[in-house]
Amino acid sequence: MSANQTSPSKSPTQQFRLISIVVAGMLGFTSSQSVAFDFKGALKDAVEKEISQQSEGSTAPTNAVSTTESAKSNNSTASSEATFNWKNPSTAEEITLGREIAGNLLGAAPLVKDAALQKYVNSVGRWVASQSERPELPWRFGVIESEDLNAFAAPGGYIMLTKGLYRKLQNEAQLAGVLGHEIAHVVKKHQLKVLQKQQLLNIGAGLLSDKYAKDNAMISKAIGSGAEISARSLDKSAEYEADRLGLSYATRAGYEPYGLTDVLQTLGQSNTSDASVALLFKTHPHPDERLSALSESVGGQLDKMTNGKTLEKRFYLLK
Amino acid sequence: MKHYLKQVLIACSLIPILYVGMSSAAEKASALKNDSLRTEPYADAKISGSFVRGERLEIIKKQGAWLQVKAKKGSGWVRLLSVKRGVTASSNQAAGVLAVASGRAGTGQVVSTTGVRGLSEQELKAAKFNEEEVKTLESYTLSAEKGRAFAKAGNLNSVAFKNLKEVKGGAQ
Repeated sequence: MSANQTSPSKSPTQQFRLISIVVAGMLGFTSSQSVAFDFKGALKDAVEKEISQQSEGSTAPTNAVSTTESAKSNNSTASSEATFNWKNPSTAEEITLGREIAGNLLGAAPLVKDAALQKYVNSVGRWVASQSERPELPWRFGVIESEDLNAFAAPGGYIMLTKGLYRKLQNEAQLAGVLGHEIAHVVKKHQLKVLQKQQLLNIGAGLLSDKYAKDNAMISKAIGSGAEISARSLDKSAEYEADRLGLSYATRAGYEPYGLTDVLQTLGQSNTSDASVALLFKTHPHPDERLSALSESVGGQLDKMTNGKTLEKRFYLLK
Repeated sequence: MKHYLKQVLIACSLIPILYVGMSSAAEKASALKNDSLRTEPYADAKISGSFVRGERLEIIKKQGAWLQVKAKKGSGWVRLLSVKRGVTASSNQAAGVLAVASGRAGTGQVVSTTGVRGLSEQELKAAKFNEEEVKTLESYTLSAEKGRAFAKAGNLNSVAFKNLKEVKGGAQ
């Protein structure tokens, strides 16, 4: 709780610090023509430096208090919208942001009305997430009504996959692999970092151009309209990283390690012009590239992992 | 007479089954990376050949995490992760390159513009926050203990395995 109370008062100071870094940077340049360009560059550099410093240093302490924070996350929505600490969001803030994104995505495609299915996916997902570096998050998983082949992760542990993708799966190890990939996006805060960078740039630009928007802290401003953010691509390297970690988590969970690569093999055989994979192929490297990268990383490390389970017998079949 | 006819029918119906069985025995595949072929499905078995990334292969047999394949330079066993099943390599690699070239500049700001049905960008954009559905989603959240119990029921045991690292440069 104390972390929550200090963050609103901290935030303006941090913004001013950021500005002073930028201004100091600008003063160093003599040519007035290059100011606009250099300003952008300096601001961007400063923002990137801040985010990377924060995420390196904050992982441990943030996680330490997260059990209490996450318990309060549901009623903290209103207060944190007004004072969102974009520079170093707490776990509770991260969850609030993810909730907003997940809610918008569910507005586009609701949950499949099959409680047994949702419970099953949450069981598998929860167990795989427990093998990750952020086991204490309140992980939630859902299968959504869409015949597309895709899966989504939002900050704070909100993970959804489409019914179309679920239908392609043949066993629990494959489900674990897919969920592992999405869990890794949350663990590595891939989407959160993109939003932070964008928002800090907006705040910085707003301050300098004398158009300091009062509502710049609003989450809805940051994530844009509807669930558009879920259609955005992450860096290619973020996708490869999520593949490596997803495979690792599922393997640690006791599953046959080839669940994710099985799914990638299947996806690689879908027609690229098929509308059901249009968004997936647009936002991810081609499955062949992902398989090649995984293959190189794995090398011989799976040679001794021969006791993994696929559990196709208890795999929940769609009605 | 009737009995004889029945036998002929059964024999005829077996032909396509046998045919399908035979053709799937030599499944088409392609190499995901440069690798060696080995005489047995073990990492320390003798090398019996090699192949290069993108080369067409034929899968003969699967055993555990190993595949017996036929390549241009001999046949032998490789780890299954070195092989992409099905379809020709050329067309798929072209598609892979296209997917990479279509605006993934690495800024994290690229927005998809295609998608005719399903979760297209347009549909996602128009979406309205659905409180009811989020609450339902959150109601399914399980504790770590529940996850452990589920794992136990399936005889899943957590095992030691280090996170995979990025390998730069590729080929062995």
